Amino acid sequence: MLADIGHAAVVIGLAVSLFAAAASVLAARSGDIGLARAGRRAVYVACGLSAMACGVMVIALLGHDFSILYVARNNATTTPPFYSFISLWAALEGSILFWTLLLTAWSSLLLYRYRSAHPALMPWAAAGLAVVAAFFFAVMTWPGDPFVSVTPVAAEGNGPNALLQNHPFMGLHPPLLYLGYTGLAIPFALTVAALVTRRLDGEWLTLVRRWTLVPWIFLTAGIVAGAWWSYEVLGWGGYWAWDPVENAALLPWLTATAFIHSAMVAERGRSLRTWTVILVTTTFVLTLLGTFLTRSGVIESVHSFTQSAIGAWFLAGVLAALVVGAVLVVWRLPDLAGTGSPPALVSRESAFLLNNLLFTGLAFAVLFGTLYPLLAEALSGERLSVGAPWFNRVSAPFFAALLFLAGVGPALPWGAASWGTLRDRFVAPALVGLAFATLGTQAGLRGAAPLLTLGLAGFSATALLREVVRAARGRGRSRGEGWIRAAWGVATRNRRRYGGYLAHLGVLVAAVAVAVSASGSVQATAVLNPGQSASLAGYTVTHIDLVREPLAADPRVFETRAQVDVEGPQRGTLQPALRDYPNSVAAIATPIVMTSVGEDFYLTLMAYDPGTGAVTLRLFINPLVAWIWVGGAVVVLGAAFAIWPGRRTPAGAATAAPGST
Amino acid sequence: MRAARWLLVPLLAIPIGWVLFSGLGRDPSEIPSPLIGEPMPAFSLTTLDGRTLSSAELSGAPVVVNFWASWCIPACVEEHPVLMDLAARYGEQVLIVGILYDDTPQDALEFLVRYGDGGWTQLDDPSGSVGLAFGVLGPPETFFVDAAGIVRAKHYGPLTQATMARNLALIGIGP
Repeated sequence: MLADIGHAAVVIGLAVSLFAAAASVLAARSGDIGLARAGRRAVYVACGLSAMACGVMVIALLGHDFSILYVARNNATTTPPFYSFISLWAALEGSILFWTLLLTAWSSLLLYRYRSAHPALMPWAAAGLAVVAAFFFAVMTWPGDPFVSVTPVAAEGNGPNALLQNHPFMGLHPPLLYLGYTGLAIPFALTVAALVTRRLDGEWLTLVRRWTLVPWIFLTAGIVAGAWWSYEVLGWGGYWAWDPVENAALLPWLTATAFIHSAMVAERGRSLRTWTVILVTTTFVLTLLGTFLTRSGVIESVHSFTQSAIGAWFLAGVLAALVVGAVLVVWRLPDLAGTGSPPALVSRESAFLLNNLLFTGLAFAVLFGTLYPLLAEALSGERLSVGAPWFNRVSAPFFAALLFLAGVGPALPWGAASWGTLRDRFVAPALVGLAFATLGTQAGLRGAAPLLTLGLAGFSATALLREVVRAARGRGRSRGEGWIRAAWGVATRNRRRYGGYLAHLGVLVAAVAVAVSASGSVQATAVLNPGQSASLAGYTVTHIDLVREPLAADPRVFETRAQVDVEGPQRGTLQPALRDYPNSVAAIATPIVMTSVGEDFYLTLMAYDPGTGAVTLRLFINPLVAWIWVGGAVVVLGAAFAIWPGRRTPAGAATAAPGST
Repeated sequence: MRAARWLLVPLLAIPIGWVLFSGLGRDPSEIPSPLIGEPMPAFSLTTLDGRTLSSAELSGAPVVVNFWASWCIPACVEEHPVLMDLAARYGEQVLIVGILYDDTPQDALEFLVRYGDGGWTQLDDPSGSVGLAFGVLGPPETFFVDAAGIVRAKHYGPLTQATMARNLALIGIGP
């Protein structure tokens, strides 16, 4: 019964999306307002239908309705309600269903917000988004049907993937990431609309910039939450492994970040238009590529869903988006040609250009490393993998240069900078950077990478803060305001600029934390009988006892805990565990992390001997890791501050007239 | 010139499509191993019934080397019937060698009593050095070695009839 409702919602959703696409194209060609409205409303209906299908799936999961194959595979009668709920996006078919909901919700939001604005662009954008939605509905109608029924109905299901039911962060990381991925369809649709209608003007650019920044915020938060999840759950003491699927999320992030910066130059004149269009298109194609890589079994990864025929469909989707984007760009190439003169060598424009070269260069390197195993196998039949060391080595110079630019770009003037300006703005930051690096050596940091990062971060942070202080002092003096009030006044009057600075500061904090934690981490493995102790970097761990019992929340899961006393800068009794799930071959580690301002103490149970109670423990002392999450949060805050609606209506944004839906 | 720029589209789409398409049939559980195309690492170990067997004695026939353990449940239990079937069907053409991975001979013998002993050679690797030489990460892992002693394939995780048949073909065994 539930399966029939869900299935019907999907099939009708496909029909409605196709109708929305057709009506919107006709409306765009004829200018018929009624047709445009019909197309728009059909998108809302598609959103409602996917919400209904998701609702049906959630009801089936919470009610353990094993007559639906997806539920039988990913749920058990003992699964706690929270993990039943998030199983909506924890496996292949459900994730596509959830994806479709988010995509149609973003589309509806855009179309409703501008229901009576941008009459030339919106029907084409609606058509583009409806085609993307129709693609996902088609995937769910044919190869990836989430509502396949099974008879006879099993009394017990398989339960959720063990790794994904081990930490509440699974409730946060995928939705954030998916909101980012799906939201990036909007700038693509707007750009398609602008290319078709030859309206690549300021109006389009303002819209695209804003509608890229919002999904970018979610994508950023999703990536950081994913790194945090990996750190808290997987028990290897790290947070980023250059896994193909991590790269798949990073790639659109890199190109979208490049776009956010290039848009600022493009807004000031007609230069960089082609480039901006290419970045938006590439970003969308990369989001689809990410979906393809995770859902086709093409690349081995801890994130891979099971292999399925869906791969071929997504491949077709990736290629279709690529071809449509490329054809439109080539078609409109004459319109896109820049008219601006090349910028002065030392100017904010050239800093932005360099920024874009670095971001796209890095994206290309990461893409190459990710696809290289495929390429090598296609060319020579050789199977190989590209590991983290390669990615670290290749990306380090890019990141170093970007850290430098994070401070230089905002402090450089538009136009050409004079020597006087440069001396004025950069001598003090350079000295602070040197001081930071020197302090780093005093504090025991070794190696070029962390010292260079610290120095560059010190330089850039000072350059940024100097800009804020300069502006706040000017305002304070002229209005007689206090420091904080003047700074807040300056920031809220130009949210974009100061939100950007805050995001840059967050990046600097996270970069220092990444560099220091990577170089300063110490680890040890200890085999301890009950009563024995081991020491590492000022910490002493004592193994008290081994406890084995079923988990209270889900008795099918058997947990083996080591009770470990920790003495040192941080102290407490920790219980790292290994959990045996009935549907998982390997036991799942449940590491324990104690966090302080300076360092994390990270303890994992690797193995145990039930006979003697002996345990193998792995200890990590990871400096500054918590600051990676803080930095990530600051980036998100900064970007949110930048797009928060201020009192002034931004130039170029049309106001919506009431009374139209 | 105006027409030439349209060449950009196929120049972009065809190579990308081809690379991605080539990956569609891949089985990601077939992890690349540096041993593939190389001679099998040499070893000399004691069998569970007390004889000594060196890798030199294995040359001349295709060999399936299966690293396993009695504690590796359910994966090693799952693939056991596949190996039994291999011994029954192709026992004449292929040598099967089981090598214990981090396990004791007593536990391994109990496993064979419970799940069936196909009669192939079982070797104890008490120091784990042979597992290390083969680059085994965790059992079960299976190496397919051709008659010339060259490793042709490695399978990670439990074998199925399908993966067994595909890998056997690589060392010249098949229906």
